[in-house]
Amino acid sequence: MNATQQIPLALEPRPALGREDFLVAPCNAVAAGWIDAWPDWPVPLVTLVGPAGSGKTHLAQVWRARSGAAELDPATGDAADLTEALGEAHAAVVDDAERLAGQPAGERGLFHLYNLMRERSGHLLLTARHPPSRWSITLPDLRSRLESGAVAALGEPDDALMGALLVKLFADRQLRPGAGAIDYLLLRMERSHAAACRLVARLDQRALAERRELRLPLVRAVLEETEREDASAERS
Amino acid sequence: MAAGLQARELEDVGAAGGETGDLVEIWARVRARLRAEVGDAAFRSWLKPLTLIGLHNGQLRMAVPSRFMRDWLNSNYVDRIQMLWSEEQPTLVGVEIVVRPPARPAAAETPAPANAPSNKSAPGEAPVVEVPTGLPERISRAEPEQPPLLEVDDEAERCRAISASLDPRFTFENFVVGKPNEFAYAAARRVAEAETAPFNPLFLYSGVGLGKTHLMHAIAWQIRHSHPDKRVIYLSAEKFMYQFVRALRTKDTMAFKEQFRSVDVLMIDDVQFISGRDATQEELFHTFNSLVDDNRQIVISADKSPSDLEGVEERMRSRLGWGLVADIHPTTYELRLGILQSKAEQLAVPIPEKVLEFLAHKITSNVRVLEGALNRLVAHATLVGRSVTLETTHDLLQDLLRASDRRVTIEEIQKKVAEHFNVRLSDMYSARRARSVARPRQVAMYLAKQLTSRSLPEIGRKFGGRDHTTVMHAVRKIEELKATDHAFAEDVDLLRRMLEG
Repeated sequence: MNATQQIPLALEPRPALGREDFLVAPCNAVAAGWIDAWPDWPVPLVTLVGPAGSGKTHLAQVWRARSGAAELDPATGDAADLTEALGEAHAAVVDDAERLAGQPAGERGLFHLYNLMRERSGHLLLTARHPPSRWSITLPDLRSRLESGAVAALGEPDDALMGALLVKLFADRQLRPGAGAIDYLLLRMERSHAAACRLVARLDQRALAERRELRLPLVRAVLEETEREDASAERS
Repeated sequence: MAAGLQARELEDVGAAGGETGDLVEIWARVRARLRAEVGDAAFRSWLKPLTLIGLHNGQLRMAVPSRFMRDWLNSNYVDRIQMLWSEEQPTLVGVEIVVRPPARPAAAETPAPANAPSNKSAPGEAPVVEVPTGLPERISRAEPEQPPLLEVDDEAERCRAISASLDPRFTFENFVVGKPNEFAYAAARRVAEAETAPFNPLFLYSGVGLGKTHLMHAIAWQIRHSHPDKRVIYLSAEKFMYQFVRALRTKDTMAFKEQFRSVDVLMIDDVQFISGRDATQEELFHTFNSLVDDNRQIVISADKSPSDLEGVEERMRSRLGWGLVADIHPTTYELRLGILQSKAEQLAVPIPEKVLEFLAHKITSNVRVLEGALNRLVAHATLVGRSVTLETTHDLLQDLLRASDRRVTIEEIQKKVAEHFNVRLSDMYSARRARSVARPRQVAMYLAKQLTSRSLPEIGRKFGGRDHTTVMHAVRKIEELKATDHAFAEDVDLLRRMLEG
């Protein structure tokens, strides 16, 4: 670290999670459509599926606010606790539900939650990286229930979304890069949510540490640096 | 018969020294005092269901809905009742509490709804709800403020409150019968239509998602429809356990026991979930015995046969196998197609027969997932306003249809595309610019952009060190061609699907 560098505080940005903050593009339009279509869901369960950073949690929060859903962790407590935690709610949301697969308490809890919601003609929303058919669920009754629900996929960003996503990610950190920087990134970066998040975080950190403007030279340097790292990670 | 009894008992009442109406009035006063003494909760649980039968030779007879309740009242309240009653009527010798027999069929007053099970009651039957013994009904006329007639309905109502709600789609009419499930179906219908328990318990078992719950709900619907006064409880074993645990916590197990031991039909779904729960098993075992002794119907479902239930006590397992054990076999193609066709008929969105056949062929695990797949297609079609085709089916259900979601690599794309267009793999990264190799190379670049998240410079490098602008150009070129040349577009989509799954 050279003398002119400042040590930036690792303050996590607070992302904007309103419905109007959600960027709808072809790769996530169906998922957003599901959220907007509530309460007219023909199934008791919808699982939002997509890679890291694709907006699952964002949509789940939009839905939670709209439906008044209880947000719970089925792995804690037994059926009695769960029923009490739920109260009169007719909607429930479980973030990153995939982590419950393979955990006896978590699976039972989720099973019970599903049954409760179904019984109340309520709705359950799950988020996960992969569709339930890919989880290593040990409880067959849970598996068949989760597989019978709807899966709303959020894909990796298409070209239309990627630019908007970068702008939003920068805005969440109160950064306003020049248009040239965005275009430059769009043509050259790895096209995934995760990569966009990593890049923006690194650009933010570097701009702050080196007190540099977020312009093309810095963007180019950071991009080349990540490419070199990725290439060496691939070789090893 | 009722009239004769009535006359005799009225004589008895007279002989006991009071007026005819006295008995009812005395009971009203005694009830009021009991209520004040024991409090509302205990009164509701234990004393409210008590109905007056009559007084005979100084012996007061009263009825309750279950044996368990009778025993409880005998050991806890009967002395108090006798004492309070004696203060009103010193000639009283004793109080006897008897068990009211299970509710008998009632003729329905309304025709069966189109989708509900048809009513089986004889046309000659009087259109009134009959109260079990016929005797409490007499009392009810004499005591309009507490009619036992209503009491019975109250209990049926109360059972509905405890019971899980029934899915209106799960009727016998909507159950598609085929070879694998016809035996279980016939057994379920028998139970639903019989006046007395034909076999006890009816034990339904199968792998998950093959229709156990559907049959359970269908039994409950049918009984509720043709015998509205019958007390039917349907719930999952989990919920039974939950209620039991809650009763333990609130120290109210007596009310819990009474609740479950006074029903006419008890149905417990997915009984395998009590595996390893000793206290719950013990409770269920006693509930079970009490109901069987009183000839009330029990219906149980599980994912295994009674003898294969792990973590369940031996005595419980043997008890579960006492009645009729009916299993549902895995579905056949014909049954799956039948189920889909019957479901599709009820949908607003038309589903091509080809899609139904495809689903019946591909999704063989269970009916729940099969129906779920159809729901997903319909929901999506409604959401995006497009019709269901074989292609959208492929895309939407890929997680169910494919063994894995393995990410495709650029190398695999190059190999597959080279094979498909019959060019050498080396042409994918060679400098040759002849159309015969350049076009396949562009297709491969296009697919690399669509199917991987690699950066454009990275894709360029994998294609013989080309620039990212070359990749951009290839992508645009293929998009143009796809838009104008239908056959070419199909060719590229076919490649994409092969690579994806």
